[in-house]
Amino acid sequence: MPIVRRIAQALLVILLAFTATFILMQALPGDGVLARYQNPELGLTPEQIEQLRVVYGVDQPVWSQFLTSVGNYLAGNFGTSLQSGARVADLIVTALPETLVLAAAGFTLAVIVAVAIAFLASFPSMRWLRNAVRSLPPLFVSVPAFWVGILLIQVFSFGLGWVRVIGADGLEALILPAITLSVPISAPLSQVLIQSLDEVGESPYVAIVRSRGAGEWWVLTRNVAKNALLPTITIAGLLFGELVAGAVVTEAVFGRAGIGTLTEQAVANRDLPVIQAVVLLAAIGFVVINLVVDLLYPVIDPRLRRERTA
Amino acid sequence: MAPIGRRLASLLLTTLTVASLAACSNQTSEPAATSSTSGEAKTGGTLTYLEPQTWGSLYPPSGGFYPNGGLLNNLTDRLLYQNPDTLELEPWIATELPEVNDDATEYTFTLRDDVTFSDGTPLTAETVVKNIDLFGKGDTDRALPVSEAINNYEGGEVVDEHTVAFHFSAPSPGFAQAVSTINSGLVSDATLDLDSDGFGPGNAENFVASGPFVVEKEEIGTKISLKAREDYDWAPPSLQHQGRAYLDGIDYVVAGENSVRVGSLTAGQADIARQIEAPDEAVVTAAGLSIVSDPTNGVTNSLSIRFPSEKLSDIRVRQAIIAGIDREAIIEALFSDSYPLATSSLAKGAKGYRDQSANYVYDQAKANSLLDEAGWVAGSDGIRAKDGVKLSLAFNIALPQPRSADVLTIIQEQLREIGIEVTIISGDQAAQTAASADIDQVQIYHSMVARADYDVIKSQYYSANRNTLQNLSSATGEVTDPKLDELLLAVASSPEEADRAAASAAVQDYLSEQAYVLPLFEEPQVYGLATHVKGFSTESVARPSFYSTWLDR
Repeated sequence: MPIVRRIAQALLVILLAFTATFILMQALPGDGVLARYQNPELGLTPEQIEQLRVVYGVDQPVWSQFLTSVGNYLAGNFGTSLQSGARVADLIVTALPETLVLAAAGFTLAVIVAVAIAFLASFPSMRWLRNAVRSLPPLFVSVPAFWVGILLIQVFSFGLGWVRVIGADGLEALILPAITLSVPISAPLSQVLIQSLDEVGESPYVAIVRSRGAGEWWVLTRNVAKNALLPTITIAGLLFGELVAGAVVTEAVFGRAGIGTLTEQAVANRDLPVIQAVVLLAAIGFVVINLVVDLLYPVIDPRLRRERTA
Repeated sequence: MAPIGRRLASLLLTTLTVASLAACSNQTSEPAATSSTSGEAKTGGTLTYLEPQTWGSLYPPSGGFYPNGGLLNNLTDRLLYQNPDTLELEPWIATELPEVNDDATEYTFTLRDDVTFSDGTPLTAETVVKNIDLFGKGDTDRALPVSEAINNYEGGEVVDEHTVAFHFSAPSPGFAQAVSTINSGLVSDATLDLDSDGFGPGNAENFVASGPFVVEKEEIGTKISLKAREDYDWAPPSLQHQGRAYLDGIDYVVAGENSVRVGSLTAGQADIARQIEAPDEAVVTAAGLSIVSDPTNGVTNSLSIRFPSEKLSDIRVRQAIIAGIDREAIIEALFSDSYPLATSSLAKGAKGYRDQSANYVYDQAKANSLLDEAGWVAGSDGIRAKDGVKLSLAFNIALPQPRSADVLTIIQEQLREIGIEVTIISGDQAAQTAASADIDQVQIYHSMVARADYDVIKSQYYSANRNTLQNLSSATGEVTDPKLDELLLAVASSPEEADRAAASAAVQDYLSEQAYVLPLFEEPQVYGLATHVKGFSTESVARPSFYSTWLDR
């Protein structure tokens, strides 16, 4: 039963995201057909543009366009891009793997960095190191991703010549974008991890473990870390949004042909069919990841397992 | 005896052949040896070209958009070739300039018979007619718009195997130039049957034309690779270079970030980058690389002062705006030597240009007194008002044009000094386009257009074309100044070249006398080139031509 409710909730979230995008896009002045064909480069007359609007169906009332759009999606027809005429499904299928690879690499790196920061920040001795490390997350969260990206390119590609930006493939093309993306993701992750390590570290049972003669390292790795994991996993699920936003900026800076670049271009050109598909994809991703996180809780925390069976 | 004799003869023949071959190669190797210093072209290599934007369509009439045009210019051939230096028309796929009847309503072309498309099919008279029919009429069912360059088109006709004729409902003197532009690039029959989607990204590998390069591989949104056609042998006869292109291929790579384009170029990761912004030019030259800045030969980057708007109906207000904007200060602050101060609504290199600089003089005192005379009085906030209406004007941001928002911000400050409030419309391309079509939302319109023909000025200002002045009011549907339309029509309908030049000059005189337009600067296309790139050139409106480009490395 809870699973059915979760799925119903998920579908509602997706439908709401779809509708909200549609309404917001309609509220803005102009539309994708105008943006493409009223472009002065083409020099079309108002009558010719009107004819094209009829061809694309954007002359229809808003509610009718909305129903058509929903109907097409249900039928598995995602439409064509207003900007280029390419099939939206093709665009997504081409762009998605690029972004998945980048997101996975960026997220993995972010987790490694966050864990390293959190452990150093909770390391018992060396107070100066703890303080220095604790100032990293606020710094990471406040530097804009595009700036980090440009800086990395300038230093490591143009300056030192270690990796190419233009004409790079595979791993070479992934290193700098993944680092760029990991910066804003690792910040909240490490912050939450540090905080819960602190909290757990002060709890009574830790004091008991200590009183029984356990060393600081033992306490941190065996007792504290495991219990501090739960809030971190929650925030990791929520960070998916950050990941999508970071991908837009990172891909634009590095010229990667992923979902981020697709989104950026679609938004700039008011390309509604593409924007809708991307929003839908993001909503599905968000829902699925948070579902996975929910299912992970009982695996990590035996107490939750018992509650559910009780 | 006979065999020995035969053997001797053959020996003799072989020796002679080898000797003569050696002599030949001697002859050619002499200049080849010196070529590395004197710059004889080398064949081979793949050039990496950086584009700020991804392309949107390979439908030739969409070639005005820079990324589209940059591809189409190298993928397609045209009936005629416009020499980018002289702007004269020369034969290309047509073996000579067309025969034109007296009132320019009928054009007859004779075609080469040795041209093939990249799929092996021959370029026939039928295909040529099918091309121009589509471009001249468009096909709204397939969302393929008509070409802006072709006016009054009625239809084409196959006269015989090598001859085609085109008919027009009214004089169409710009047609010969129109078929030389990227917008009239010839494509194969199968490609002509594509719809708007078929010309779009994801389908580039199916685009078949007859040009020196063909699409080899496409990665949607980031990269498109062209390769040279080995059997290409129909370059414009006036070119020194004939046969296949020197380059083996070109990689067009999208790099939207300015610093990435400039950095990759100076770090040697790319060979050519398009759109080097003015502040970056010094970075490129400081690294020892070269800047190529080519003029776009059309309507200059300018402000259309929309006189049908009530606030701008008084010529004194329009003159005050012109006198109140210090264009030299703008160019000094934002641009470089590649951006010459405009002296007319047309660029110096444009067909029909006439100097109007006397009408575009910065004089703040004059601007103030003109506004005083016109009855606009400064209020407590320093903004002038008349009958309770503030002198507040809205400008659009010309997103495709260089640093438009920065230009407008300076203009905002300058006009504030003479008591005019400037608001700048914000928003993306769709929002800008929608607002710009409405005179109530945008009273001063920032734009430019490139085309190396007399018709360009009509394209920009005529009420049924771009209508940048909103002479045809979007509110009332009426033409405010019929005289302007009349003058513009004369440019596009006089069959004689001299008459067209005179008509164009008359339009420029009228635009400056009436204070309808303030031209800012002549908009160039600025490319950064690595030192080993040779023979790079651009066509008549500054889109890249890679046919004669080669790499000296």
